[in-house]
Amino acid sequence: MTKVVLMDKSDNLLSSIKGPTGPEHRQLANEVMRQALEQASLQIDDISYIVATGYGRLNVPFADRQITELSCHARGVFSIFPSVRTAIDVGGQDAKCMKIEDGRLISFVMNDKCAAGTGRFLEVTATALGIKLEDMGNISLKATRKIQISNLCTIFAQQEVIVLLSRGERPENIVAGLHDALASRIAALARRLGIEPDLVLTGGVAKNTGMVRAMKESLGCEILVPQEPLITGALGAAILAKEIYMKAVATGEVLPTKARRLDKATFFTEEYR
Amino acid sequence: MSWFMGIDIGSAYSKGVIIKDFELVASHIILSGANYRTSAGAIRTELIRKVNLTQNDIANTIATGFGADNVYFASQKASDIVCTARGTNNLFPQARTVIDVASQSTRVIRLNEKGIVTNFTVSEKCAAGSGRFIEVIANVLRVDLTDFSRLAARSKNPITFGTGCAVFGESEAITRISEGIPKEDIAAGVNNALASKISSLVKKVKLEEPCAICGGGALNTALVKTIETELNTNLLVPPQPQLITALGAAIIAAASVTLEPGKKQTC
Repeated sequence: MTKVVLMDKSDNLLSSIKGPTGPEHRQLANEVMRQALEQASLQIDDISYIVATGYGRLNVPFADRQITELSCHARGVFSIFPSVRTAIDVGGQDAKCMKIEDGRLISFVMNDKCAAGTGRFLEVTATALGIKLEDMGNISLKATRKIQISNLCTIFAQQEVIVLLSRGERPENIVAGLHDALASRIAALARRLGIEPDLVLTGGVAKNTGMVRAMKESLGCEILVPQEPLITGALGAAILAKEIYMKAVATGEVLPTKARRLDKATFFTEEYR
Repeated sequence: MSWFMGIDIGSAYSKGVIIKDFELVASHIILSGANYRTSAGAIRTELIRKVNLTQNDIANTIATGFGADNVYFASQKASDIVCTARGTNNLFPQARTVIDVASQSTRVIRLNEKGIVTNFTVSEKCAAGSGRFIEVIANVLRVDLTDFSRLAARSKNPITFGTGCAVFGESEAITRISEGIPKEDIAAGVNNALASKISSLVKKVKLEEPCAICGGGALNTALVKTIETELNTNLLVPPQPQLITALGAAIIAAASVTLEPGKKQTC
């Protein structure tokens, strides 16, 4: 998903939009940006400074600066929960655990090596169960027991789910077991960093109530979840953009900016090879 | 009564053989499907039809593999490790190591001159270390498993996977296709990734030559070549590598009743 947050200098949220990144790989940032501008009734020329973050941050042609998603997440989460000391972000591509002090990223651990420790584990197994990813949370709340998933690998777990279904096991009990399996792996990752409260969970997985519950059990502590857990990275990028710009204005420095044209990213393929 | 049967129910394919005087006389392979019991029955029916026998002519049947419990007509179950070693020893008495590249796992077994297992290691936690990785990517490339090897062999510029995970590897393969990278370079990249995982598994139990390779993965000749290069050895490849474990089961079935020529009875 591509997310855009537009913000004014007094930290008012003018627009926040989520849109597909697109099968053509990160080419749709311009489209999501266009929608965000429309929502805020602004023109692209009105935007003083643009920061891009995330995996595809190099592929946003109209961004003035790129900042890693870790720094942006830390900043975004801190702006919502100033008490945050540990932030866990779990998406379909990776899981990141961040230690935060006064809104600054101190250290982090990350898993982008194995799908079984990321939200992808739930995406793949939901397909096997024939249920929608976004329904998994509510379905798991109906569980009467948790079925232990013995396979670690996502691909083998997918097969295990099919075998469990054919044995007549109830989908809600399987989903509860899947949540438990993923939560315990993410908790193990977080423990490598050391968990300090307050703990905030973001990313797609935070929208799954069953996962939030399973994470609470695995971590043994309370979890704070922002209202919009998907946009904390973009929010942090907008805040950092504002800070960079305001600082430049205060010191009289001239910030180089890119052409304000909503172009598709087309250059990255060659570079990627 | 000198006919013996071995049935190997794997997670992807079910294999069966009949042997007479420790020689293979019939074999059959089917997809395991969702009902292993049915698959086991179907294999037996087909096997005895091929040699014009009845069920009663089979003196003993041993079951092995992931779904061995479903072979209701077997007298006993045997470990797949033991069966693979026995099957390998029957074909290649000189082999001291065998690599079994299966769908669910990769196994590396060290064996002695009698076919007895002396050490083994299994990679079963991760699909990227088993033949399943190839199945997953072959599906993305829309190529048959039998064409996969030929495709990979044509590659001039194999891609390097940035991930060790079959799920992320699948996404990566899709990205590469969208960038216009030729199919063969992706296929060869998968073989390289798998071969390197298999080689490190072999090093865990220490390679003792000669080394054989079996399982469905051994049908992928490009993969076999890559492993040979990684390990710097020539691999012994059976003509029907998928059948080795079932063959071993049949040999154990026979050895429990008769003496294998030139061998001391061990089961």
